[in-house]
Amino acid sequence: MRTGSLVNFSGHQYLRQRLVLSIISGKHVRIEKIRSEDKNPGLRDYEVSLLRLLEKVTNGTVIEISVTGTAVLLKPGVVFGGPVTHDCPLSRSIGYFLEPLIMIAPFSKKPFQLTLRGITTDDSDLSADLIRTVTLPHLQLFGISDGLELRIKKRGAPPEGGGEVQFICPVVKEVKTLNFVEPGRIKRIRGIAHSVRVNPQFSNRMIEASRSVLNRFIPDIYLYSDVYKGDESGKSPGYALSLLAESTTSAIHCSEAVSKPGETPEDIALLATRALLSEIRHGGCVDRKHQSLVLLMMVLGSEDIGRCRMGEPSVRTIQFLRDIKIFFGTVFNIAPADQSDPSNVELLYSCLGTGYVNVNRTLA
Amino acid sequence: METQTHKAHRPAQSGSKAEKKGKGKQKTGFNEKAFAPKSGRRADRQARRNVERDQARLHVPLINRTPDDNPPPVIVAIVGPPGVGKTTLLKSLVRRYSKQTLSETKGPITVVAGKKRRLTFIECNNDLNSMVDIGKVADLVLLMIDGSYGFEMESFEFLNILQAHGFPKVIGVLTHLDLVKKQATLKATKKLLKKRFWNEIYQGAKLFYLSGVLNGRYPDTEILNLSRFISVMKFRPLIFRNCHPYLLADRIEDLTPREEIRKSKGRCDRTVTLYGYLRGTNLRQSTKVHIPGVGDMNIKTVAMLGDPCPLPDADSEKRRKLSEKKKLLVHAPMSDVGGVMYDKDAVWINVPGSFTRGVTDVPQGEGEQMVIDLQDVNETLEDTVARSKIRLFGSSSHPLTIDARRDDEESSDLADESDSEGNSEFDEEEEGFSEDEQDDAESDEEDEQPCRDPINGNAGRYAVRTTVRPTYGLSSKEKDTGDVAFADSDSELGLSDDEGNGEGGQVMYADNEKGIPSDDERDVDDEDEDEDDAPAWKSGLAAKASAAFEALNRQRRRKDWIAMIYSSSLSPEQVINGTDTTAVESDVIDDDFFRVDSSTSMNEDNLDMTKEVQSSSALRELEDEDVLDSLRTLFITGDHDTSGGADQEMNIHEDSEPGDLTKLEAGEAQFASAEFEGIDTETRALVEGYRPGTYVRIELASVPCEFIEHFDPHYPIIIGGLLPAEERMGYLQVRIKRHRWFARTLKTNDPLIFSLGWRRFQSVPIYSLDDHSIRMRMLKYTPEHMHCFASFYGPVALPNTGFCAFNALSGETAAFRVSATGVVLNIDRSTKIVKKLKLTGVPFKIFKNTAFIRDMFSSPLEVAKFEGASIRTVSGIRGQVKKALNKPEGAFRATFEDKVLMSDIVFLRAWYSIQPRKFYNPVTSLLLSNKSHWSGMRLTGQIRREEGLKTPLAVNSAYKPIERPARRFNALKVPKKLQSALPYASKPKLMKPQGKRTYMQTRAVVLEPEEKKAIALLQQIRALRKDQVARRRGKQQERKETHRKKVEKDEAKKAEKEREKKKEYMKAAGMKSKREADIEEGRSSKRRKT
Repeated sequence: MRTGSLVNFSGHQYLRQRLVLSIISGKHVRIEKIRSEDKNPGLRDYEVSLLRLLEKVTNGTVIEISVTGTAVLLKPGVVFGGPVTHDCPLSRSIGYFLEPLIMIAPFSKKPFQLTLRGITTDDSDLSADLIRTVTLPHLQLFGISDGLELRIKKRGAPPEGGGEVQFICPVVKEVKTLNFVEPGRIKRIRGIAHSVRVNPQFSNRMIEASRSVLNRFIPDIYLYSDVYKGDESGKSPGYALSLLAESTTSAIHCSEAVSKPGETPEDIALLATRALLSEIRHGGCVDRKHQSLVLLMMVLGSEDIGRCRMGEPSVRTIQFLRDIKIFFGTVFNIAPADQSDPSNVELLYSCLGTGYVNVNRTLA
Repeated sequence: METQTHKAHRPAQSGSKAEKKGKGKQKTGFNEKAFAPKSGRRADRQARRNVERDQARLHVPLINRTPDDNPPPVIVAIVGPPGVGKTTLLKSLVRRYSKQTLSETKGPITVVAGKKRRLTFIECNNDLNSMVDIGKVADLVLLMIDGSYGFEMESFEFLNILQAHGFPKVIGVLTHLDLVKKQATLKATKKLLKKRFWNEIYQGAKLFYLSGVLNGRYPDTEILNLSRFISVMKFRPLIFRNCHPYLLADRIEDLTPREEIRKSKGRCDRTVTLYGYLRGTNLRQSTKVHIPGVGDMNIKTVAMLGDPCPLPDADSEKRRKLSEKKKLLVHAPMSDVGGVMYDKDAVWINVPGSFTRGVTDVPQGEGEQMVIDLQDVNETLEDTVARSKIRLFGSSSHPLTIDARRDDEESSDLADESDSEGNSEFDEEEEGFSEDEQDDAESDEEDEQPCRDPINGNAGRYAVRTTVRPTYGLSSKEKDTGDVAFADSDSELGLSDDEGNGEGGQVMYADNEKGIPSDDERDVDDEDEDEDDAPAWKSGLAAKASAAFEALNRQRRRKDWIAMIYSSSLSPEQVINGTDTTAVESDVIDDDFFRVDSSTSMNEDNLDMTKEVQSSSALRELEDEDVLDSLRTLFITGDHDTSGGADQEMNIHEDSEPGDLTKLEAGEAQFASAEFEGIDTETRALVEGYRPGTYVRIELASVPCEFIEHFDPHYPIIIGGLLPAEERMGYLQVRIKRHRWFARTLKTNDPLIFSLGWRRFQSVPIYSLDDHSIRMRMLKYTPEHMHCFASFYGPVALPNTGFCAFNALSGETAAFRVSATGVVLNIDRSTKIVKKLKLTGVPFKIFKNTAFIRDMFSSPLEVAKFEGASIRTVSGIRGQVKKALNKPEGAFRATFEDKVLMSDIVFLRAWYSIQPRKFYNPVTSLLLSNKSHWSGMRLTGQIRREEGLKTPLAVNSAYKPIERPARRFNALKVPKKLQSALPYASKPKLMKPQGKRTYMQTRAVVLEPEEKKAIALLQQIRALRKDQVARRRGKQQERKETHRKKVEKDEAKKAEKEREKKKEYMKAAGMKSKREADIEEGRSSKRRKT
């Protein structure tokens, strides 16, 4: 009987999704050869920090890291939730830690009240703004909505950070089956141009530049200028523009660009705007950055057919699909969304949900 | 006066009068006024009641996942105490549906009952394990009750088990009613039993009466009525079964190589295939399964087989009634239907007619003679192989020398190639066994042909049939012994049998593959199509867009994403960038060195990041005005080229979003089947698993050998699929209530056998109660008439799963065995149960409100841990632990709200957390030779009782008289001087009784003569009175004596009557048991006959 179902992986890539799948499926996972060929072998500080965080939000989790740090064994426990505070290292932004936790948060015993401190916006991971405005609405597709919230208490730009967010997530019994095949047309564009410890005019300049491109498409554009001051603005200067486009069927596409040394706010704004248009051009009902989240929730849905129309899978998504097959045995049927129109590159992902029920939830 | 004959009145049958009359009657039938409420309050109450009743009728809609087009057979379990007539009912029902009389009923029996319904009958034996397992899978229970005896404990136990695991439909069947002679008694009995039955199930539950047995069956009309009820029965989906795949195995086969078994002397783990209809949800190959009574297993392979008992198809659908031919379908591999029986390692064909010895009326040709003569073979295969001399023909003089193994292998080919050769003149004495086996099979098949056709007609079964093993047409008893002999000694035979099996499988696969277009083929087709299509749409689009974009699109279009993602070893990057397979191959051919290098270089910049690095070229493309314009169509402000319109689409979306529940209930399965219509079967099985209703073969590796060795078809084998969560172990918190019919209370840390989910296991619960929401406090015993919590270690089950628990599973106790029922509340990796712990100490030095306490702790460290803890004396003085003292180890300073006494005992109330023991012992009843005698962990007392050991008694535990010296308080002495100075109220008073005798006590008394006389007279009177009373009492005694005698006489008479009555009852009971024995005997005698 033993929970001997051990899954083995090698390589440091896709660590987060594998840990998440392990915790959700309950299968033990061993990841080996983590940067074993590297000059600086083993886990990075942010990866260790993520493991610590996962240990904090669960009960009975056993994490064994080898002496060299090139191998990790995770025996997942019960997702517990509740109030947890975690200081994220400055090598990665809060998004790095929040993305996997968003996947497991709905399946905890107690509602999540997670406070994370660190960098709120950076180049590699979803910023707190995008998580709040895009990721959380994606969860709402699956019936995870009441009390779902991300509060940005303080902003923190790299390299010093100093931001703080609070993530509150309700507990669900099971997620709804998704049937999202109509991408619709873009009906509104929203955006947040935020700046900390720089001239507040910067955000207005970004808005201006972005509007110069977007105004031709649609009148319903609101780009908010969000300036944090004083204690709430973190320790380093920075600014960014995050954009999202919502369609008539409430499909959301998003993009973001973060300040870089030597680039004007206008450059940043144009970068974000073009990225948004490219994202829109990609089509589908789900943003490319949220493919894996949506696919995971589809797998965890009830034992009916879940369908979603998306663009081509990203690299991460492909590996995610493979990992899902290993952990859950679920295989997606991926077919062209529109058989009649050959120019359409959108794909229809459908799968039979595993009927995942949140076992951690208490009845009493 | 003449008697006048009147014409009898004939009411009009037609016409206006008749119509009027009819109408009038209808009117009188329902008097509206009679039911109208008389007052407003009454109307209100009535309305409220109606609404409440309607609400009670409502239920949460459940999605029925059973497919409508090809549902799995309904499992009809026949349950009841032994001797109640279960087998008779089963035979009658099978006879009703299939027109076949079964001689033996073992295992599940599937019949076609209607155009859209098949039934699987299964008889439940009297073992509690079987009842639990059957209760978990049965869709309909025929609960049989002996009408002449009444309800028995097992029936009640079974009903309670059902209640814990989701209540399936129950139909009661009263039998043995012919034994109740008096009509009045019969009526009363029926009424009584019905009332009890309704109490147990629900008011109005269906109860059938079966009168008597005719020709070994129940009367046809009564069975017909019952079958009608069964066929219209509707089933509500049960939650547990609606989220787990499961299967009731109707056939089992051992695929372990014989050689391995021989080598390990039968002790090796087996590879076993189980066959059955899938039920519940879709089964995926990755699903872990649990076989109750065996354990958790991984599925090795799942194969979809042809339906052995298919529903009538389209052409017969047109007819209103089932054709007789279809009706004959019956699938019962474990029983011998039509002489075919599937055993764990062989298929037996029983042919009573042609090859039986001593049957002279059947013309015996050469072949028949040969087969009959085979029965005389008295050498084992080993001997023949050892000699290994074979003469090809009876007439040939020189024996052939052949390698026996090769012979075995080729035997099938040989037989296939030339029938005549196979049938030709073998010497019965010396021929190779495998040949004659083959031969026998062949001829059997020929012989069987006409009678088998109705039974099946599909490739799956045919293929299996090639593995046929002969039964030598002997009586069943002899056949059995033969079986034993073969199974033990002929490893060789087993081998050949296995090969046959493998071949059967191959045939089947070949068939399957023919049916399914293979993946490769499809791909090729696809590509061809694309190639053909390409020019056409290329030319069409050429005008619109650039050719480069086109080419890219085409390339993308061609991608078979499923294949590339799931069944190729391409890295995700390669999948995206569309590396040609040739390129990949060249990559692979390249030195490993380079690959490692490239991957490491990739690692450096390839962080695990969500945001993709936007390629600048793609973004620059967006600077172009034309490109931007081309994006306009993606916005609502752009022109709508499609007529659909976003709004309409949105409506559709919104329609499906809130989840119209009635729609959900209607046909989710159809939706599912439509979704995967296009893709081939293999991928489909990968994507959605195997759908319920399909007949599958599940192969399980490393099954304990006892499962096969002690296989008994009378015990149901269930394969229950497990959800991912259920594979794990953890602490379960459940709400539990001792069953009110269970005689004893349950004690913490006593082992209990749970039936939870698919599993049956023993664990050690700790009972607890919520103590004012502050803590979970351990209970030593379960409370009476109340729920409490229990925590135990075991396999995780979803919250809200019901369970029942037993103290013992064996059927030896007459008492009610279901000891508790409950529901799972919470799963965790730890528990938070505490029990009270009182630490006591005594003061050894007392100051004002401070005291030094010792004997509570043993070290200053312990004290440090409890600093600030509140303590209390027995007399109720509260205090606090302050600080450890140096001198006596573990002593501490404490302060109190008042001065304590040296005689006070100080105690500290603490809570000690306890964890349930990590004990999990699955009930492996199916692995036992005696399946009803599983014994788990026993209690110490039980072991002592069974081993005849005395309870050891510690010397200190013995009860001794406690000597408590009385406390002596010194008298309060007040100095004389002080006394005199005190006011009177405060002065000590003399409270002692007077010690000196008073005058009144010491003086002498002398009587006067009159007084003496008076006293004498009084004495005389008293004496007279005494005598009188004594005489009266004597007389009363006499009267009583006579009365007692009379009463005794009556009693004796009554007792005599009672004895007579008892005698009569015992006579009836004896007859009943005799009848049972007769039935038993009848069974075995029947077996002997066949």
